[in-house]
Amino acid sequence: MAYNKPIPDPDPYTTQPFWDGAKAGKLMLPRCTNCNRAHFYPRMICPHCYSRQIEWFEASGEGWIHTFAVQHRAFGGWADDVPFVTAYIDLKEGDRMFTVLRGVDAAKPETIKVGASVKIEFEEASETVSIPFWRVV
Amino acid sequence: MPSNPSMSAAIVGAAESDQIGYIEEGTTDQILHIQAISNVCAQVGISPSEIEGIFSVGYSTNIAEYLGLHPKYIDTTGVGGCSFQMHVHHAMAAINAGIIDIAVVSHGESGYSGGRKNRGRGRNRGAGGSDPWQPASMFADPYGAAGAPSNYSHAMTRHMHNYGTSHKDFAQIAVTTRDWATLNPRAVMHSKETNPYGGKITIDDVENSRLISWPLHLLDCCLVTDHGGAVIVASAERARSFKTKPVWIAGAAESMSHQNMMEMDDFTRTSAPESSLAAYKMAGMGPREMEMAMIYDSFTITAAITAEMLGLAKRGEGPSLWEGGKAGPGGSGIPVNTNGGGLSFSHSGMYGMMLLVEAYRQLSGTAEDGVHGLPGKQTNAKTAIVNGTGGSLSVTGTLVLVADD
Repeated sequence: MAYNKPIPDPDPYTTQPFWDGAKAGKLMLPRCTNCNRAHFYPRMICPHCYSRQIEWFEASGEGWIHTFAVQHRAFGGWADDVPFVTAYIDLKEGDRMFTVLRGVDAAKPETIKVGASVKIEFEEASETVSIPFWRVV
Repeated sequence: MPSNPSMSAAIVGAAESDQIGYIEEGTTDQILHIQAISNVCAQVGISPSEIEGIFSVGYSTNIAEYLGLHPKYIDTTGVGGCSFQMHVHHAMAAINAGIIDIAVVSHGESGYSGGRKNRGRGRNRGAGGSDPWQPASMFADPYGAAGAPSNYSHAMTRHMHNYGTSHKDFAQIAVTTRDWATLNPRAVMHSKETNPYGGKITIDDVENSRLISWPLHLLDCCLVTDHGGAVIVASAERARSFKTKPVWIAGAAESMSHQNMMEMDDFTRTSAPESSLAAYKMAGMGPREMEMAMIYDSFTITAAITAEMLGLAKRGEGPSLWEGGKAGPGGSGIPVNTNGGGLSFSHSGMYGMMLLVEAYRQLSGTAEDGVHGLPGKQTNAKTAIVNGTGGSLSVTGTLVLVADD
Protein backbone atom coordinates (compact mmCIF):
# COMPACT_ATOMS: atom_id res chain seq x y z
CA MET A 1 0.00 0.00 0.00
CA ALA A 2 1.26 3.44 -0.88
CA TYR A 3 2.51 5.55 1.99
CA ASN A 4 -0.52 7.64 3.04
CA LYS A 5 1.02 10.10 5.51
CA PRO A 6 2.71 13.47 4.99
CA ILE A 7 5.91 13.11 2.98
CA PRO A 8 8.60 15.77 3.42
CA ASP A 9 9.58 17.84 0.40
CA PRO A 10 13.41 18.09 0.61
CA ASP A 11 14.77 21.53 -0.21
CA PRO A 12 17.90 21.74 -2.37
CA TYR A 13 19.56 24.40 -0.21
CA THR A 14 19.93 23.03 3.30
CA THR A 15 18.52 19.57 3.90
CA GLN A 16 19.27 17.52 0.77
CA PRO A 17 22.23 15.62 2.34
CA PHE A 18 19.94 14.57 5.20
CA TRP A 19 17.41 13.11 2.78
CA ASP A 20 20.09 11.53 0.58
CA GLY A 21 21.37 9.84 3.73
CA ALA A 22 17.91 8.71 4.75
CA LYS A 23 17.42 7.16 1.32
CA ALA A 24 20.61 5.18 1.91
CA GLY A 25 19.57 4.18 5.44
CA LYS A 26 21.97 6.57 7.18
CA LEU A 27 21.36 9.37 9.66
CA MET A 28 23.34 12.32 8.30
CA LEU A 29 23.73 15.33 10.58
CA PRO A 30 25.15 18.78 9.94
CA ARG A 31 28.22 19.83 11.89
CA CYS A 32 30.02 23.13 12.01
CA THR A 33 33.69 22.88 10.98
CA ASN A 34 34.48 25.99 13.00
CA CYS A 35 33.19 24.94 16.46
CA ASN A 36 32.81 21.22 15.68
CA ARG A 37 29.29 21.01 17.11
CA ALA A 38 26.44 19.11 15.44
CA HIS A 39 22.97 20.55 15.25
CA PHE A 40 19.46 19.60 14.24
CA TYR A 41 17.26 20.72 12.46
CA PRO A 42 19.70 21.45 9.62
CA ARG A 43 20.61 25.10 9.18
CA MET A 44 22.66 27.08 6.72
CA ILE A 45 24.38 28.78 9.65
CA CYS A 46 25.71 27.21 12.86
CA PRO A 47 23.32 28.10 15.71
CA HIS A 48 26.22 27.89 18.18
CA CYS A 49 28.93 30.07 16.58
CA TYR A 50 27.20 31.46 13.44
CA SER A 51 29.79 30.08 11.07
CA ARG A 52 28.45 29.12 7.65
CA GLN A 53 31.04 26.35 7.27
CA ILE A 54 28.75 23.33 7.64
CA GLU A 55 29.73 19.75 6.81
CA TRP A 56 27.69 16.56 6.99
CA PHE A 57 28.68 13.36 8.78
CA GLU A 58 27.10 9.99 9.40
CA ALA A 59 25.77 9.88 12.95
CA SER A 60 25.41 6.78 15.11
CA GLY A 61 21.65 6.60 14.76
CA GLU A 62 21.48 6.05 18.51
CA GLY A 63 19.68 8.10 21.10
CA TRP A 64 17.35 8.17 24.08
CA ILE A 65 13.73 9.09 24.69
CA HIS A 66 13.63 12.63 26.09
CA THR A 67 9.86 12.64 26.46
CA PHE A 68 6.83 11.12 24.74
CA ALA A 69 3.06 11.23 24.38
CA VAL A 70 0.35 8.93 23.06
CA GLN A 71 -1.70 10.49 20.30
CA HIS A 72 -5.38 9.58 20.40
CA ARG A 73 -6.46 12.15 17.84
CA ALA A 74 -4.84 12.71 14.45
CA PHE A 75 -5.63 13.79 10.92
CA GLY A 76 -5.03 12.43 7.43
CA GLY A 77 -3.20 9.13 7.14
CA TRP A 78 -2.26 9.20 10.81
CA ALA A 79 -5.92 9.09 11.85
CA ASP A 80 -5.94 5.38 10.97
CA ASP A 81 -3.04 4.70 13.32
CA VAL A 82 -4.33 6.10 16.62
CA PRO A 83 -3.30 5.52 19.28
CA PHE A 84 0.37 5.93 18.39
CA VAL A 85 3.35 7.19 20.37
CA THR A 86 5.27 10.34 19.46
CA ALA A 87 8.56 11.20 21.11
CA TYR A 88 11.39 13.66 21.22
CA ILE A 89 14.71 11.85 20.88
CA ASP A 90 17.99 13.05 22.36
CA LEU A 91 20.64 12.19 19.79
CA LYS A 92 23.92 10.65 20.92
CA GLU A 93 25.67 13.43 18.98
CA GLY A 94 23.61 16.14 20.71
CA ASP A 95 20.41 18.01 19.89
CA ARG A 96 16.99 16.48 19.39
CA MET A 97 14.57 15.00 16.84
CA PHE A 98 10.81 14.45 16.83
CA THR A 99 9.47 11.06 15.75
CA VAL A 100 6.83 8.40 15.94
CA LEU A 101 8.20 5.78 18.26
CA ARG A 102 8.20 2.13 17.25
CA GLY A 103 8.47 -1.00 19.35
CA VAL A 104 6.22 0.35 22.11
CA ASP A 105 2.67 -0.40 23.25
CA ALA A 106 0.53 2.75 22.91
CA ALA A 107 -2.11 1.17 25.12
CA LYS A 108 0.40 0.91 27.99
CA PRO A 109 2.20 4.27 28.28
CA GLU A 110 3.35 3.33 31.78
CA THR A 111 5.66 0.75 30.16
CA ILE A 112 7.42 3.38 28.03
CA LYS A 113 10.38 4.95 29.80
CA VAL A 114 11.94 8.36 29.45
CA GLY A 115 15.64 7.69 28.93
CA ALA A 116 15.13 4.38 27.13
CA SER A 117 17.61 3.67 24.33
CA VAL A 118 16.35 3.96 20.78
CA LYS A 119 17.80 3.31 17.34
CA ILE A 120 16.91 4.91 14.03
CA GLU A 121 15.28 3.15 11.08
CA PHE A 122 13.96 4.46 7.80
CA GLU A 123 10.71 3.87 5.94
CA GLU A 124 10.53 4.35 2.20
CA ALA A 125 7.68 6.84 1.68
CA SER A 126 8.25 7.53 -2.00
CA GLU A 127 10.81 6.86 -4.70
CA THR A 128 12.89 9.77 -3.48
CA VAL A 129 12.10 10.17 0.21
CA SER A 130 12.64 7.82 3.13
CA ILE A 131 11.46 9.00 6.54
CA PRO A 132 13.39 8.34 9.76
CA PHE A 133 11.63 6.69 12.69
CA TRP A 134 13.04 5.57 16.02
CA ARG A 135 12.57 2.19 17.68
CA VAL A 136 13.07 1.23 21.30
CA VAL A 137 15.90 -1.32 21.54
CA MET B 1 19.15 56.84 30.43
CA PRO B 2 15.49 56.39 29.48
CA SER B 3 13.09 56.54 32.41
CA ASN B 4 11.40 53.46 33.88
CA PRO B 5 8.10 53.20 31.97
CA SER B 6 6.33 51.72 35.02
CA MET B 7 2.96 53.46 35.58
CA SER B 8 3.38 55.61 32.46
CA ALA B 9 0.24 54.01 31.04
CA ALA B 10 -2.92 52.33 32.26
CA ILE B 11 -5.60 50.03 30.96
CA VAL B 12 -8.71 52.19 31.17
CA GLY B 13 -11.35 49.83 29.82
CA ALA B 14 -11.91 46.22 28.82
CA ALA B 15 -14.81 44.71 26.93
CA GLU B 16 -15.93 41.72 24.94
CA SER B 17 -17.73 41.19 21.66
CA ASP B 18 -21.55 41.06 21.83
CA GLN B 19 -21.46 37.27 21.77
CA ILE B 20 -18.76 34.90 22.99
CA GLY B 21 -18.54 31.12 23.18
CA TYR B 22 -20.06 28.73 20.68
CA ILE B 23 -21.80 31.05 18.22
CA GLU B 24 -23.89 28.52 16.32
CA GLU B 25 -25.07 30.94 13.63
CA GLY B 26 -21.44 31.66 12.78
CA THR B 27 -19.30 34.77 13.04
CA THR B 28 -16.07 36.23 11.69
CA ASP B 29 -12.90 37.63 13.19
CA GLN B 30 -13.89 41.06 11.87
CA ILE B 31 -17.29 41.05 13.55
CA LEU B 32 -15.72 40.04 16.87
CA HIS B 33 -13.01 42.72 16.65
CA ILE B 34 -15.37 45.54 15.76
CA GLN B 35 -18.00 44.65 18.36
CA ALA B 36 -15.36 44.52 21.08
CA ILE B 37 -13.84 47.86 20.07
CA SER B 38 -17.26 49.47 19.84
CA ASN B 39 -18.12 48.13 23.29
CA VAL B 40 -14.89 49.20 24.95
CA CYS B 41 -15.09 52.72 23.48
CA ALA B 42 -18.64 53.08 24.79
CA GLN B 43 -17.51 51.84 28.21
CA VAL B 44 -14.56 54.25 28.38
CA GLY B 45 -16.56 57.09 26.88
CA ILE B 46 -14.46 57.81 23.81
CA SER B 47 -15.15 57.79 20.11
CA PRO B 48 -13.20 55.21 18.10
CA SER B 49 -11.85 58.23 16.20
CA GLU B 50 -9.75 59.05 19.30
CA ILE B 51 -7.75 55.83 18.93
CA GLU B 52 -4.20 56.68 17.86
CA GLY B 53 -2.58 53.27 17.96
CA ILE B 54 -3.94 49.85 16.97
CA PHE B 55 -2.47 46.62 18.32
CA SER B 56 -3.77 43.25 17.16
CA VAL B 57 -2.65 39.87 15.87
CA GLY B 58 -2.26 40.74 12.21
CA TYR B 59 -5.57 42.60 11.96
CA SER B 60 -4.72 46.24 12.62
CA THR B 61 -5.11 47.53 9.06
CA ASN B 62 -8.47 45.77 8.69
CA ILE B 63 -9.65 47.40 11.89
CA ALA B 64 -8.39 50.84 10.89
CA GLU B 65 -9.99 50.65 7.46
CA TYR B 66 -13.31 49.38 8.81
CA LEU B 67 -13.47 52.23 11.32
CA GLY B 68 -12.01 54.84 8.97
CA LEU B 69 -9.02 55.43 11.26
CA HIS B 70 -5.57 56.66 10.29
CA PRO B 71 -3.48 55.47 13.25
CA LYS B 72 -0.09 56.87 14.15
CA TYR B 73 1.08 53.53 15.48
CA ILE B 74 0.32 50.13 13.94
CA ASP B 75 1.37 46.87 15.57
CA THR B 76 0.43 43.40 14.36
CA THR B 77 2.53 41.21 16.65
CA GLY B 78 1.23 37.68 16.27
CA VAL B 79 3.19 35.17 18.30
CA GLY B 80 0.33 33.12 19.67
CA GLY B 81 -1.90 33.54 22.66
CA CYS B 82 0.48 35.79 24.58
CA SER B 83 0.47 38.41 21.83
CA PHE B 84 -1.97 40.58 23.79
CA GLN B 85 0.29 40.87 26.82
CA MET B 86 2.98 41.99 24.38
CA HIS B 87 0.58 44.43 22.71
CA VAL B 88 0.05 46.09 26.09
CA HIS B 89 3.82 46.14 26.59
CA HIS B 90 4.29 47.70 23.15
CA ALA B 91 1.46 50.19 23.64
CA MET B 92 2.99 51.29 26.93
CA ALA B 93 6.34 51.76 25.18
CA ALA B 94 4.75 53.80 22.39
CA ILE B 95 2.92 55.93 24.96
CA ASN B 96 6.03 56.33 27.10
CA ALA B 97 7.91 57.45 23.98
CA GLY B 98 5.34 60.18 23.48
CA ILE B 99 4.11 58.88 20.13
CA ILE B 100 0.51 58.19 21.14
CA ASP B 101 -1.82 58.73 24.11
CA ILE B 102 -4.63 56.28 23.38
CA ALA B 103 -4.24 52.75 22.03
CA VAL B 104 -6.62 49.90 21.45
CA VAL B 105 -5.53 46.29 21.81
CA SER B 106 -8.04 44.16 19.98
CA HIS B 107 -8.80 40.49 19.56
CA GLY B 108 -11.31 38.77 17.29
CA GLU B 109 -11.07 35.07 16.62
CA SER B 110 -13.75 32.76 15.34
CA GLY B 111 -12.01 29.70 16.72
CA TYR B 112 -15.24 27.71 16.79
CA SER B 113 -17.08 29.06 13.74
CA GLY B 114 -13.92 29.32 11.66
CA GLY B 115 -12.82 25.89 12.82
CA ARG B 116 -16.07 24.42 11.56
CA LYS B 117 -15.48 25.99 8.17
CA ASN B 118 -12.02 24.42 8.07
CA ARG B 119 -12.90 21.06 9.60
CA GLY B 120 -10.82 18.18 8.33
CA ARG B 121 -8.13 20.36 6.82
CA GLY B 122 -5.76 19.54 9.67
CA ARG B 123 -4.85 23.17 10.11
CA ASN B 124 -2.65 24.47 12.91
CA ARG B 125 -0.43 21.43 13.03
CA GLY B 126 2.27 23.28 14.87
CA ALA B 127 4.57 26.24 14.63
CA GLY B 128 6.40 26.92 11.44
CA GLY B 129 3.63 27.41 8.92
CA SER B 130 2.76 25.39 5.87
CA ASP B 131 5.77 26.20 3.67
CA PRO B 132 7.05 22.67 2.91
CA TRP B 133 10.66 23.78 3.32
CA GLN B 134 10.14 25.09 6.83
CA PRO B 135 11.75 22.96 9.57
CA ALA B 136 8.38 22.09 11.11
CA SER B 137 6.97 20.94 7.78
CA MET B 138 9.96 18.73 7.16
CA PHE B 139 10.80 17.37 10.59
CA ALA B 140 7.59 17.56 12.67
CA ASP B 141 4.54 17.37 10.41
CA PRO B 142 5.45 13.92 8.99
CA TYR B 143 4.86 12.46 12.45
CA GLY B 144 1.17 13.09 12.82
CA ALA B 145 1.11 15.57 15.69
CA ALA B 146 -2.22 17.36 15.47
CA GLY B 147 -2.00 20.83 16.96
CA ALA B 148 -1.22 22.15 20.41
CA PRO B 149 -2.49 19.32 22.65
CA SER B 150 -0.40 16.73 20.81
CA ASN B 151 2.71 18.77 21.57
CA TYR B 152 2.00 20.07 25.08
CA SER B 153 1.38 16.53 26.29
CA HIS B 154 5.11 15.85 25.91
CA ALA B 155 5.78 18.56 28.49
CA MET B 156 3.47 16.91 31.02
CA THR B 157 5.21 13.56 30.55
CA ARG B 158 8.57 15.16 31.19
CA HIS B 159 7.25 17.06 34.22
CA MET B 160 6.01 13.76 35.68
CA HIS B 161 9.41 12.18 34.98
CA ASN B 162 11.46 15.01 36.47
CA TYR B 163 9.35 15.80 39.51
CA GLY B 164 7.20 12.74 40.23
CA THR B 165 3.96 14.58 39.59
CA SER B 166 0.91 12.60 38.55
CA HIS B 167 -2.02 13.35 36.28
CA LYS B 168 -4.17 13.69 39.38
CA ASP B 169 -2.06 16.67 40.50
CA PHE B 170 -2.80 18.46 37.25
CA ALA B 171 -6.48 17.47 37.30
CA GLN B 172 -6.96 19.68 40.36
CA ILE B 173 -6.24 22.70 38.18
CA ALA B 174 -9.14 21.85 35.87
CA VAL B 175 -11.45 21.29 38.85
CA THR B 176 -10.61 24.58 40.59
CA THR B 177 -10.81 26.53 37.36
CA ARG B 178 -14.25 25.04 36.71
CA ASP B 179 -15.31 26.17 40.20
CA TRP B 180 -14.61 29.76 39.10
CA ALA B 181 -16.57 29.20 35.89
CA THR B 182 -19.63 28.19 37.89
CA LEU B 183 -19.61 31.74 39.34
CA ASN B 184 -19.36 33.37 35.91
CA PRO B 185 -22.62 33.10 33.95
CA ARG B 186 -20.80 34.14 30.76
CA ALA B 187 -18.53 31.09 31.01
CA VAL B 188 -19.24 28.39 28.46
CA MET B 189 -19.01 25.75 31.19
CA HIS B 190 -20.87 27.75 33.86
CA SER B 191 -23.68 25.24 34.27
CA LYS B 192 -25.82 22.62 32.59
CA GLU B 193 -27.89 25.54 31.28
CA THR B 194 -24.95 27.07 29.40
CA ASN B 195 -23.59 23.74 28.14
CA PRO B 196 -24.59 20.08 28.56
CA TYR B 197 -21.08 19.45 29.93
CA GLY B 198 -21.06 22.54 32.16
CA GLY B 199 -21.17 22.81 35.95
CA LYS B 200 -18.88 21.49 38.64
CA ILE B 201 -16.47 18.66 37.90
CA THR B 202 -14.38 16.35 40.06
CA ILE B 203 -10.84 15.02 39.79
CA ASP B 204 -12.34 11.69 38.74
CA ASP B 205 -14.22 13.45 35.93
CA VAL B 206 -10.93 14.83 34.61
CA GLU B 207 -9.15 11.49 34.99
CA ASN B 208 -12.00 9.62 33.29
CA SER B 209 -12.49 12.07 30.42
CA ARG B 210 -11.32 10.70 27.11
CA LEU B 211 -7.66 10.82 26.17
CA ILE B 212 -6.65 13.44 23.63
CA SER B 213 -2.89 13.07 23.81
CA TRP B 214 -1.78 11.03 26.81
CA PRO B 215 -1.24 12.20 29.49
CA LEU B 216 -3.64 15.01 28.49
CA HIS B 217 -7.31 14.14 28.85
CA LEU B 218 -10.13 16.18 27.34
CA LEU B 219 -10.69 18.13 30.56
CA ASP B 220 -7.00 19.09 30.69
CA CYS B 221 -7.55 20.99 27.45
CA CYS B 222 -8.95 24.46 26.82
CA LEU B 223 -12.13 25.15 24.93
CA VAL B 224 -12.13 26.28 21.30
CA THR B 225 -14.67 29.07 21.06
CA ASP B 226 -15.47 32.30 19.26
CA HIS B 227 -14.29 35.34 21.17
CA GLY B 228 -13.68 39.04 20.71
CA GLY B 229 -12.19 41.41 23.25
CA ALA B 230 -10.57 44.80 23.41
CA VAL B 231 -8.82 46.99 25.95
CA ILE B 232 -7.94 50.66 25.80
CA VAL B 233 -4.47 51.65 26.98
CA ALA B 234 -3.99 55.32 27.77
CA SER B 235 -1.17 57.58 28.93
CA ALA B 236 -0.89 58.50 32.62
CA GLU B 237 -1.91 62.05 31.70
CA ARG B 238 -5.16 60.86 30.15
CA ALA B 239 -5.86 57.82 32.33
CA ARG B 240 -8.10 59.57 34.85
CA SER B 241 -10.08 61.57 32.26
CA PHE B 242 -12.47 58.78 31.29
CA LYS B 243 -15.73 57.34 32.65
CA THR B 244 -13.83 54.27 33.82
CA LYS B 245 -11.17 53.57 36.44
CA PRO B 246 -7.56 53.08 35.35
CA VAL B 247 -5.69 49.89 36.14
CA TRP B 248 -2.01 50.73 36.08
CA ILE B 249 0.66 48.91 34.14
CA ALA B 250 3.35 48.62 36.78
CA GLY B 251 5.45 46.10 34.91
CA ALA B 252 5.54 44.64 31.42
CA ALA B 253 7.98 42.40 29.61
CA GLU B 254 8.24 39.62 27.08
CA SER B 255 10.57 36.80 26.14
CA MET B 256 10.79 33.59 24.12
CA SER B 257 12.75 30.38 24.13
CA HIS B 258 12.02 28.68 20.80
CA GLN B 259 9.57 28.41 17.92
CA ASN B 260 9.41 24.68 17.18
CA MET B 261 8.93 22.26 20.06
CA MET B 262 11.91 20.17 18.87
CA GLU B 263 14.04 23.19 19.84
CA MET B 264 12.61 23.36 23.38
CA ASP B 265 15.62 22.76 25.58
CA ASP B 266 13.85 22.00 28.86
CA PHE B 267 10.29 20.71 28.47
CA THR B 268 9.38 21.88 31.97
CA ARG B 269 10.49 25.48 31.50
CA THR B 270 9.09 28.39 29.48
CA SER B 271 10.61 31.84 29.03
CA ALA B 272 8.31 33.24 31.74
CA PRO B 273 11.14 33.50 34.31
CA GLU B 274 12.74 36.03 31.96
CA SER B 275 9.54 37.92 31.13
CA SER B 276 8.21 37.90 34.69
CA LEU B 277 11.52 38.85 36.29
CA ALA B 278 11.76 41.87 34.00
CA ALA B 279 8.12 42.79 34.68
CA TYR B 280 8.54 42.39 38.46
CA LYS B 281 11.71 44.48 38.30
CA MET B 282 9.98 47.26 36.38
CA ALA B 283 7.14 47.18 38.89
CA GLY B 284 9.42 47.07 41.92
CA MET B 285 7.38 44.15 43.21
CA GLY B 286 7.72 40.40 43.47
CA PRO B 287 5.56 37.29 43.41
CA ARG B 288 4.67 37.57 47.11
CA GLU B 289 2.98 40.90 46.43
CA MET B 290 0.69 39.49 43.75
CA GLU B 291 -2.83 39.22 45.14
CA MET B 292 -4.24 37.36 42.17
CA ALA B 293 -2.95 35.71 39.01
CA MET B 294 -4.30 35.37 35.51
CA ILE B 295 -2.33 32.48 34.08
CA TYR B 296 -2.71 31.20 30.54
CA ASP B 297 -4.30 27.77 30.85
CA SER B 298 -4.37 26.37 27.35
CA PHE B 299 -3.80 23.09 29.17
CA THR B 300 -3.44 22.18 32.82
CA ILE B 301 0.29 21.62 32.21
CA THR B 302 0.64 25.17 30.82
CA ALA B 303 -0.85 26.63 33.99
CA ALA B 304 1.23 24.41 36.27
CA ILE B 305 4.57 25.18 34.62
CA THR B 306 3.72 28.88 34.45
CA ALA B 307 2.95 29.01 38.18
CA GLU B 308 6.50 27.78 38.73
CA MET B 309 8.00 30.18 36.23
CA LEU B 310 6.29 33.20 37.84
CA GLY B 311 7.60 32.32 41.29
CA LEU B 312 4.12 31.47 42.58
CA ALA B 313 5.06 27.82 43.22
CA LYS B 314 8.32 25.95 43.69
CA ARG B 315 9.96 24.34 40.67
CA GLY B 316 8.29 21.02 40.03
CA GLU B 317 5.37 21.89 42.32
CA GLY B 318 3.24 24.03 40.02
CA PRO B 319 -0.01 22.19 40.79
CA SER B 320 0.45 23.06 44.48
CA LEU B 321 -0.90 26.54 43.73
CA TRP B 322 -4.31 24.92 43.14
CA GLU B 323 -4.00 21.99 45.57
CA GLY B 324 -7.23 21.32 47.44
CA GLY B 325 -8.88 24.27 45.71
CA LYS B 326 -6.51 26.85 47.23
CA ALA B 327 -6.66 29.07 44.13
CA GLY B 328 -10.42 28.71 43.84
CA PRO B 329 -13.37 30.69 45.18
CA GLY B 330 -12.90 31.17 48.94
CA GLY B 331 -9.62 29.31 48.82
CA SER B 332 -6.69 29.92 51.19
CA GLY B 333 -4.30 30.98 48.41
CA ILE B 334 -4.43 33.74 45.83
CA PRO B 335 -7.31 33.60 43.35
CA VAL B 336 -6.19 32.29 39.95
CA ASN B 337 -8.12 32.53 36.69
CA THR B 338 -11.23 34.02 38.24
CA ASN B 339 -13.17 34.05 34.95
CA GLY B 340 -13.06 30.27 34.67
CA GLY B 341 -9.97 30.21 32.49
CA GLY B 342 -9.38 29.01 28.99
CA LEU B 343 -10.34 25.63 30.37
CA SER B 344 -13.92 26.57 31.26
CA PHE B 345 -14.72 30.22 30.38
CA SER B 346 -13.74 30.76 26.76
CA HIS B 347 -10.66 30.20 24.61
CA SER B 348 -10.73 31.04 20.94
CA GLY B 349 -7.23 29.82 20.11
CA MET B 350 -5.39 32.84 21.45
CA TYR B 351 -6.51 33.40 25.03
CA GLY B 352 -4.37 36.35 26.11
CA MET B 353 -7.12 38.94 25.66
CA MET B 354 -9.40 37.12 28.10
CA LEU B 355 -6.63 37.32 30.71
CA LEU B 356 -6.47 41.10 30.22
CA VAL B 357 -10.21 41.70 30.33
CA GLU B 358 -10.66 39.71 33.53
CA ALA B 359 -7.63 41.30 35.23
CA TYR B 360 -9.02 44.75 34.38
CA ARG B 361 -12.44 43.88 35.81
CA GLN B 362 -11.00 42.51 39.02
CA LEU B 363 -8.62 45.41 39.66
CA SER B 364 -11.12 48.10 38.65
CA GLY B 365 -13.69 46.54 40.97
CA THR B 366 -16.18 46.08 38.15
CA ALA B 367 -16.33 42.29 37.99
CA GLU B 368 -19.85 42.26 39.42
CA ASP B 369 -21.18 45.14 37.31
CA GLY B 370 -22.18 42.60 34.74
CA VAL B 371 -21.73 42.19 31.03
CA HIS B 372 -25.00 41.95 29.12
CA GLY B 373 -26.62 41.61 32.55
CA LEU B 374 -24.34 38.79 33.63
CA PRO B 375 -22.05 39.61 36.59
CA GLY B 376 -18.82 37.83 37.43
CA LYS B 377 -17.30 37.22 40.86
CA GLN B 378 -15.35 40.09 42.43
CA THR B 379 -12.22 39.39 44.47
CA ASN B 380 -10.36 41.78 46.80
CA ALA B 381 -7.15 41.77 44.77
CA LYS B 382 -5.36 45.08 44.19
CA THR B 383 -2.41 43.62 42.31
CA ALA B 384 -2.30 40.98 39.60
CA ILE B 385 0.25 39.09 37.61
CA VAL B 386 -0.96 38.34 34.10
CA ASN B 387 1.04 35.90 32.02
CA GLY B 388 0.40 34.78 28.49
CA THR B 389 2.05 31.72 26.99
CA GLY B 390 2.01 31.33 23.24
CA GLY B 391 3.17 29.09 20.45
CA SER B 392 4.47 25.73 21.63
CA LEU B 393 5.22 26.72 25.26
CA SER B 394 7.63 29.01 23.50
CA VAL B 395 6.75 32.68 23.90
CA THR B 396 5.67 34.58 27.00
CA GLY B 397 4.41 38.03 27.90
CA THR B 398 4.00 39.16 31.50
CA LEU B 399 2.22 42.15 33.01
CA VAL B 400 2.11 43.34 36.59
CA LEU B 401 -1.08 45.36 37.03
CA VAL B 402 -2.16 47.42 40.04
CA ALA B 403 -5.45 48.99 41.07
CA ASP B 404 -5.83 52.78 41.19
CA ASP B 405 -6.31 53.06 44.95
